[in-house]
Amino acid sequence: MSSRVSRGLVFAALCLIGISTVYPLLFMALNSMRTTQAFELNPFGLPSHLGLGSYRALFNTIPFLQSILHSLIVVVPAVLLATFASSLAAFVFTKVPIKLGNVFFWTMLMIMFMPGIVVLLPLYVEVARTGFANNFAPAILIYTAINIPYGTYLLRSNFRAIPNSVVEAARVDGASWLKVYYRVILPIGKPGIITVGILTFLNIWNDLFISLVLLHAPNTEMVTPTLAQLSGKYTSNIPVLMAGLLLGAVPTLILYFVTARVFIRGMLSGAVR
Amino acid sequence: MGLRRSPTARDDAPPQDTEIQRTRKQRNVFSYVALLPAALLVLGLMVLPIGSTIWHSFTNWDGVSSTFIGFRNFELIFHNPIISQVLVNSLIFLISVPLILVASLVTAVLVYEKVLGWRVFRFLFFIPMVLSPVIVGVLFSTFFLPGGAVDQILRVFGLGNFSWLGNPWSARFVVILALVWASFGFGMVVILSAMSTVDTALYDAAAIDGASWWRRLRSITIPMISGSLQFLSVINVIYTFTSLFAFVFVITAGGPGFSTTTVDYYTYITTFENGQFGYGAALALLLFLIVLTLTIAQVKLFPNREVQQGS
Repeated sequence: MSSRVSRGLVFAALCLIGISTVYPLLFMALNSMRTTQAFELNPFGLPSHLGLGSYRALFNTIPFLQSILHSLIVVVPAVLLATFASSLAAFVFTKVPIKLGNVFFWTMLMIMFMPGIVVLLPLYVEVARTGFANNFAPAILIYTAINIPYGTYLLRSNFRAIPNSVVEAARVDGASWLKVYYRVILPIGKPGIITVGILTFLNIWNDLFISLVLLHAPNTEMVTPTLAQLSGKYTSNIPVLMAGLLLGAVPTLILYFVTARVFIRGMLSGAVR
Repeated sequence: MGLRRSPTARDDAPPQDTEIQRTRKQRNVFSYVALLPAALLVLGLMVLPIGSTIWHSFTNWDGVSSTFIGFRNFELIFHNPIISQVLVNSLIFLISVPLILVASLVTAVLVYEKVLGWRVFRFLFFIPMVLSPVIVGVLFSTFFLPGGAVDQILRVFGLGNFSWLGNPWSARFVVILALVWASFGFGMVVILSAMSTVDTALYDAAAIDGASWWRRLRSITIPMISGSLQFLSVINVIYTFTSLFAFVFVITAGGPGFSTTTVDYYTYITTFENGQFGYGAALALLLFLIVLTLTIAQVKLFPNREVQQGS
């Protein structure tokens, strides 16, 4: 009886927290479809009239869709490169013992705690000096490099869970190390690798600092800095701002909804530490 | 590898030696080639820049030319009144760390009860984690705008028209609130994953002994997950110092005055808006030293097996 009551209370508490995480999404969605006047009269309740005027206004005033495209141009190759490089490094660190492996791993671990600005400051000067400012290539490489230490760290603890006997068995059967990597490690480590790929995607897509510094010209600006600047320009026009925020969040939300099963399992299996 | 063979085997089978040498060489070639992409990128785009920042922190670098000026930048930093204000701000923002830990723990414990629909709740609680700090920050600043959502609620109680972002303490409160909301999902995951390794027999035994729910939380759950709590504390302290940039940028732009300016935001302004690269490099290094000290202090203060093993 009392256990029933307490489970009811737990459920109620979960509902409250759940509302706090869903409400902002609804707030963005509903208010992006109101007019400014309607928003000012009633920002909470259900709107009486929905329209896509704010989206039209957003596309007409700033190159918003281009900024999404710019983000994809940078994020997709950086995620693939970083995940590939991290998985190879983590494989060597866990299954192919070599002399300098530990030194290299601890160097990466130290770097992981380095504030981004320590690295970015000279890189920005160098990129500008060599005429590569507002060019996607250096941004892709820098994002890749910055995400390698954490990715390697996560995949290292992930691959450690793969029994060495599996690797040894493959070696005895005459498989080369390369073959062990893509026939044994990649299939078994797949959930962890996907989780790291998603985390890297989120890291880069959602980042403001690096993209703001490296890609600040209108024809290269990524979506997150665009949103950050939109907020300054449109504080008086909340519906247009909300339309931008929602569209900026949609790719990450889709990625999360589609991969939630693997992603949540990967995160819970201790992949984040 | 050689150690594993018995001494007799070595005498009988000389051809195996060359075989072993060959596999060892193969192994070395493979591992260095496999490490190459990560090594090149990390050395070229992280280790070298760090060295450059260290060197330039002793120069008056303006992004084009630089001359060595010794510790002048650091002297300037220590005589800059804004810096002490900025450091105090970061210390104030540390209030978010215990708040995040409590929010994460409460959420994790509630989800762990596995009541109706707990999987759905777990799915929902991840949502803030996939949103950019920019989106979270803009949303929260919208809620707290004059005449915004919060004001309208307060008006019902006869209050309202309070300029949340115009006062130092309420502006800091909004930043902290946004930070806690954005961070508890990650904390919940880490704690849930630690809780899943706790032997359920412990809870059963405690239940038979008549231990209350609170007692079980205090005596079983929290001790068993202390490693994760420490990990979260370290990560969030680092985050508070190094990664509030996006929140501050969109919520307050450092204001009013410098009351919400963090070290990373101030470094951004001095470097990229004022072009004082040498001074910025010194600031960035100072930030790193603070983070390093706080991390070491936390690891020393809470000696814990898990962290020392580097798991």
